[in-house]
Formats: sequence, structure tokens, C-alpha cells
Amino acid sequence: MSPEGTVTIDHVWKRFRSDRGRRLLRDHVSRLGRRVSGREDADQWRWVLREIDFKIEPGESVGFVGSNGAGKSTLLKIISGVMFPHTGRVAVEGRIGALIEVASGIHPELTGKENISVFGTLLGLGKSELGRKYDEIVAFAELEDAINRQVKFYSSGMKTRLGFAIAAFLEPSVLIVDEVLAVGDQMFQQKCLDRMRTVLHSGTTLLLVSHDLAAVGATASRAIWLADGTMQADGPVDEVLAGYRTAIEKEAASKIELEGEIRISNFTTFGGSGGAITTSGPCSVSFDVTAPQGKHANFFIGVSQGAATPIFAVRKEGIRVSEGETHVAVDFAGIPLPAGGYFIWFAAFEVKTGREITPWQPIGPLLVEGGRLLDATPKAIVRLSPVFVEAQWTVSD
Amino acid sequence: MNSAIPQIPDSPPPEWRYRRALRVGTSLRELGRSRHIISGLVVRQVRSQYSQQVLGLAWAVLAPLAQMLVFTFLLNRVGNATFSTGGVPRPLFLYVGLTAWSFFSSSVSSAGSSLVGNPLLNKVYAPREVFPLSQVCSSGVDAIASTALLPLLFLVAGRWPSSTFYWFPVLVLILVTATVAIALAVSAVTVYVRDLRSGLPLILQLGLFLTPILYPVSQIPEQFRALSMAINPIAGVVDGLRACLFYNQAPDPTYTLLAAGSSVIYLVGGFLLFKRLETGFADVS
Repeated sequence: MSPEGTVTIDHVWKRFRSDRGRRLLRDHVSRLGRRVSGREDADQWRWVLREIDFKIEPGESVGFVGSNGAGKSTLLKIISGVMFPHTGRVAVEGRIGALIEVASGIHPELTGKENISVFGTLLGLGKSELGRKYDEIVAFAELEDAINRQVKFYSSGMKTRLGFAIAAFLEPSVLIVDEVLAVGDQMFQQKCLDRMRTVLHSGTTLLLVSHDLAAVGATASRAIWLADGTMQADGPVDEVLAGYRTAIEKEAASKIELEGEIRISNFTTFGGSGGAITTSGPCSVSFDVTAPQGKHANFFIGVSQGAATPIFAVRKEGIRVSEGETHVAVDFAGIPLPAGGYFIWFAAFEVKTGREITPWQPIGPLLVEGGRLLDATPKAIVRLSPVFVEAQWTVSD
Repeated sequence: MNSAIPQIPDSPPPEWRYRRALRVGTSLRELGRSRHIISGLVVRQVRSQYSQQVLGLAWAVLAPLAQMLVFTFLLNRVGNATFSTGGVPRPLFLYVGLTAWSFFSSSVSSAGSSLVGNPLLNKVYAPREVFPLSQVCSSGVDAIASTALLPLLFLVAGRWPSSTFYWFPVLVLILVTATVAIALAVSAVTVYVRDLRSGLPLILQLGLFLTPILYPVSQIPEQFRALSMAINPIAGVVDGLRACLFYNQAPDPTYTLLAAGSSVIYLVGGFLLFKRLETGFADVS
């Protein structure tokens, strides 16, 4: 037997029925009959997981990344035992704790206190364990004053805090976290991360699903990238995330089709003296704009890493765009980005009315070359944006 | 970093198909370890049902009492029922049967919707049986409350329960077995055939009239009696309850054995069906 905290996934496949819309009662009954007899049926199936095969050692923290519908949540459900695989074998040693979308376990008619005991047992906390941890849970959820109130009178923030607090005090061998880092206000998020870090330090295996790549990068040491139900990559978190980001940007680049009344052409980026762009080096973005009716606009240019939230953005007021081509060039003196793939975003607003001419959207890729990578951050500290700053350390007695 | 596995076939080799071996012992042990989950769910259901109601748990007693009165009125005034209860006041006669039936029917109907659309099913791992079983237990709480009223009713009727009432626990055991069996089967099948959710109340309503709840077993034609006991264990249970509580008799051995036998068969069948269907619950629910 493997040591506690090991997760072994062996040739797992999973399929769902593709929906064919309305069904007759007869279909349901015959489907039931096939289920009971175990015969194979002729229905249309869609594979959501194909050939998933990996092993996680105790104490490892693994992030699962991939676009929506790639199969991340299904995989976690199979690991937690809620779903059964179609083929293959899943073996998890030790107790599994899941920090999933927790609000569903909280019953609105019960008080906070009652919910702690009921939902706690549901998650697998024993009676004595719950008794010991009760005060800690209440303090963690910051609900000391409201604990005897029915949960339906709680604010939504209080509800999520309660659910998270109960789940956070499980002491599982394997902890599954599915998109819960976006819970509560900043203070509470920090508390959650602290709690996760404590759990990690006690040797728990962590499986984390998040679209927040920065959070994955900061928390996990290994990442598995799922695309279309298959494992695209499995390895050290930085390498896998870099590969995943590049893929997102490639896909976004292939889809660029500018909306709005301003047209952009001849988009290029280049570094010092027309060469490659390197970390902390000069960088220029240039393109031509045309507008059929002629516009007087404020331009925004931003740089992002996949998501729509820019790492930084700059603005230029009062640019006149006419039917003919207007050349625009933006020069950044030293671009504070580590090596990697990024995206240039663009938006334009009319000067007088503030009306949106071109909505905020990506217009082209930006590739930073060179070997400058960010230093590692302390575990479970979320990195918001990858900004590279030269630093000189002086350590003396 | 391993790069993508180059070629993945469209579907896995059929011989890889995951077949869960059903180990009854293991499943039962796991279920036993989940006792506290069931009790947690029961507490949650009962509390949430009765909290904020002024009368609270008193409703568990008021509902069968009201039902008793309504059916007594219907049978006496509207139906002109002629059957004999053997000297037992009709309300008391009905109350025993109605309590047993309410336990059965409320267990089955709430178990029927315990898996479909249950948000916990997809989120928290627990043996699946805990959801229907906790519904049976919640209905059991109500049934205990209405049984507690029984001595009072005897007092009002001015009679004592027969000295044979020690058979009571045996009959309750048969009733619980049958109820758990049907609750498991119905909850599992409802996941796949949703129509059962709407059809179930009708079927249960019909069951109330087909089971000797509102009339004694003697009203069933002689040649169908044994068959009806074999198919419907509740009938045998209710008949036995009346015999041991009212008539100072041991329950009819044939009927009781038939009821016990069929409920055990139902339990095995229901459990196996549940286990068989269980692997797909999270996919379709």
C-alpha cells in the first residue's frame, strides 16, 4: 500500500451522454434497463476525460489548469469518489477533504451553530473533533455575534465564510480545492491562504483547480494542464503554466477580429534597434489606424498575460483618426516584464462624449525573450501580475 | 515536463471498462461508519422542517390525528361503511393503520426525491445510501411521535392494549425493512426515470386504498388475501398490529411470515438495484 496522501490515477476515461434533447419515457426506461443489465448501448457519448494517468506523492501540491470544459472539475469529482470513472482505476490513500463550492452544504433554515455540526459531520469531521474545533471554526469565520442566527439572515459573504471555515478545519490527507480562492474580502482571502499554507506544511497533498494562474503558480509546485479531456502537460508549475499561457495567447491571436469603427493594420512590436524585446529593455508597439467617418479619440494601450486584466495600461488623449492611415507608435523605455508571451490590448473612446468607439480587446501578441524569470515567492502568496524589477541585495552584519 | 501523449485513441479498449465489484460486506461496513452522516442529515431535515413553526414537532402528531378524523367521518357519514372492527372504536382502528402507512409513504416519497437534484450528491463524498436512509429516519421521527399518542387514544377509547402487544417490535421491524427496501429502489430509479417523481404520489395514494388501512383484511376476498400479503408486506404488518394491539392475538403466522419474507427479498433486491445504479448517479443527477 502506498503511504497516506498518495493519489494514483490509472488510465482513467470518462464519458457523458451527449444531450439529444427531449426523450420519451420509453427511452428512460430502456436506459434504466441497460444500466441494470450492464449492456453497452448505442447512444451518443462524448468523452470528457481521455487517458488520464498520473501519480501524486504525499505532500505534493498540484495545480490543475485548462480552459472551461477541459475536464478539471470532472477529474476532481472522480478523485473525490463522487463520480465513477468509465475505465481505469483511482486510488486515494487517506481521508479526502474537499474545499469545493461550499454554499450548497449550508442549510438556510438552520442556525450557524447547527450548520457547523451538521455540515461538519457531512464532510467527515467526527463529533469529538468538531467539539474541539468549534471555537476555532467560529473565530475563523468571524461569526461570533451571528452564530445563533439562522443562516438565511446572513449576508452572502457570511455564508461563504461559514462554509469555507467548516471545510478548512478538516485535516485530510488529500485536500481538494476547486475555485474557492475568490471567496470573501481581501482579509478573508488572506486568511484562507494562510490556512491552506498551514495545511500544506502539515504534509497534506493539495489538489487545486483555479483559473487564477497566478494563484496556481504561487501555491502549487507541479501543474497538470488539461485540454479537451486529455493531459496536455504534467510537470513543474512554471513550465506548464508558461506552456498553457502561450497556448491561450496563440488561440486569442488567431481569433483577433477588431470590433468597432476603428480599423487597425500593420501591427508590429520590436525591441531596441528593431531587435527582440528583452526584460527591462526598450520596447515599441506600432500600428496604423483608420476610421471611415473620422474620429477624435482617446487611445488606451495595455499589456496583459492572457486575461483581460492588464498588467499595466497607458493612455493618450486626443488622437485624430481619419479615413487615411494614421501611424501610431508607443515606446516603452524599459519593459518590466519577465520572459514570456503577453498580449497588447487596445480601446478607444470619443473625446467629447466619452462614447466607446472600440471596446477593450486584444490586438496582437507581445513576446519578451531572454532568460529573466521571476524569483519564487513564498508559498501561498498570490502574485498579482508578473512585473520584473531589478533588485540588488546587500546583506551585512 | 512530459509533453502530450502523442496519440490517444477515440475510445479506450473495451476491456479496460471499469466494473465495480460489489462487495456487500464492505458496502455495509462503510454505511455503518457513516451513521453520523445519517444522523446529521436527519437532524438537519427535522430541524429545518419544524424550526420557525409555532407548533413545531406537534405537527407530527396533528397530521395523523386529523387524517384519522377525516377518514372516520368519510367512512361513517359518506361511505356508510359496514365492516366490523370487532368492537374497536373506528378512529382507533384507523389510527394504527394510518400511522404505519404514513411512515411508509412519507419515507418513500421523500426518498424518491432525495437523490435527484441533491446538491450534496455532487459535492461531498458519502455512501449514496445515506440520502434515502436519512429520509426514512426523518419519517421515523414523525412516526415515533404519532405512536407516542397511541396510549392516549387507548385511554380516551377506554380500553387497554391487548397483552399480546409484545409482538409490536417484530412487526415494526418488518415495516422498516420493507420501507427501506422500497425507498432505496425508488430513489435510485427516480434518478433515471424522472417521471416517477410526479407519478409517485399517485401510486402511493392508490396503495393506501389497496392496502387494508381503512378496512380490515377480512374485506379482501379470501382467495387474494395471501397473494396480497406476499406482494404488500405493509398489509401483513397492519393486520398483525391490529391483532396484537386490539384482539389479544398473536399476529397471523402465515401473513406475518409472508410479509417478513417478502420484505427481506425486497430489501436484498432494492439494495442490489441501488448499488447497480449508483455508479451513474453523479453523471445524470
